[in-house]
Amino acid sequence: MEKDYEIYEVFSQKEPTGKYESQFSLLAPSPEIALAMAQENFLRREDPPANLFVVNRRHIHFISPEARVALRRMDNKAYRMPGYYGRVLKKWHELKARRGIGDRLLKVEEDG
Amino acid sequence: MSIFDLPAVREDPEQVEAFLARIDRGEKIEADDWMPMDYRLQLVKLIAMHGISEIMGAFPEKEWVPRAPTLRRRLSLMAKVQDEMGHGQLLLRVAEDLIRPFGKTREDILNDLYAGRLKFHNVFHMPAPTWADAALIGWLVDGAAIITQKMLVQGSYAPYVRALRRIIMEERFHAFHGEDMSQALGDGTPEQRKMLQEALNRWWDALLMFFGPPEEEQMPSNQLKNLRYRIRTKTNEELRQEFLSKYVPQIWALGLTVPDETLRFDEATGRWVYRHPDYSYLRNVIGRNRGPRSEARLHLRRSAFEHNRWVREALLARQAVQKEAAIV
Repeated sequence: MEKDYEIYEVFSQKEPTGKYESQFSLLAPSPEIALAMAQENFLRREDPPANLFVVNRRHIHFISPEARVALRRMDNKAYRMPGYYGRVLKKWHELKARRGIGDRLLKVEEDG
Repeated sequence: MSIFDLPAVREDPEQVEAFLARIDRGEKIEADDWMPMDYRLQLVKLIAMHGISEIMGAFPEKEWVPRAPTLRRRLSLMAKVQDEMGHGQLLLRVAEDLIRPFGKTREDILNDLYAGRLKFHNVFHMPAPTWADAALIGWLVDGAAIITQKMLVQGSYAPYVRALRRIIMEERFHAFHGEDMSQALGDGTPEQRKMLQEALNRWWDALLMFFGPPEEEQMPSNQLKNLRYRIRTKTNEELRQEFLSKYVPQIWALGLTVPDETLRFDEATGRWVYRHPDYSYLRNVIGRNRGPRSEARLHLRRSAFEHNRWVREALLARQAVQKEAAIV
């Protein structure tokens, strides 16, 4: 049976602007049946999704287990994070005060 | 070709050590990671049995769908039965990915079931003669399953954990559904109460057996392995104690009597004392598919498989034609 049925990975989106979420996989004889089964198997009681799609697993390229180990990141990427530049806000406050610029003219926004 | 016949391979002891160290660090194992053949075999045994039990477990309940007392009850029960089949599909997918490297498929899993090599859970060999049995299955059998699954979801094999997370989410509906049916009967007319009490009397031993024999001085080797591989994290007896702590008070709250006059909570040890069922029944009767409903339910499954064969083949034929057309 499965010797000819293929594995489909099922993805859905909650909202049109949302990310693609993996639901699970299923066995089906064709993409059309896979789509019908995906709704039955994974979206019986959830809120209706904005979109749903299936991908034949043969067409997904997975990173190898050996390479996965290299995904672990060293703890040296702080300069990529906004928190690293926290001194900026303090500096703006300091400069404002020094030049006598009021809050109405220069707002210092916490979230950049 | 049984799914349990995995090739014997010589494994590098260092690689096995490294694998066990990953388990000890609490890492999760993926389907394409290297794993000892024995770890794979333990997973296949557990997950294929779990998956097939979801499917066989839908049978005693499905018998009550056309006979449910009201339309509302019928809708809920039908939804629940569909969930169980869905859980079966999820779990079979996880099992299939484990046996796939050896050319084995879902069909091999089903053939192992029909040949008696793959067992399904003991509770699903039992009859469900009244509506109260359907209620009690939803309440206590599902309750026992939830306790087991909450332990298994802590396990080391990531694909199984992902399937269990979805299953556990859906089981929350099953638990309330079963409790709702049982409350209606337990808090109903004297006749309804009697019906529920009789169902409890019928199911009590099977419920205790659900968790398997207690581990005494010597832990069975399979159990030890599963604990070592962190496929499971609690013993049978620990799970049974949890079940008793959660459900005996509910049984009492419904004014029902547990059919075991020795049952009591021992404050000193913090454990339930109870009369053990005859666990040899598990091995000698259920284990050989000789339970009251074993054969009938296997027959139902097998005949569904045979009767629907033409559908599977027709779908494949259509796909083959399309492929051919694409080549031309």
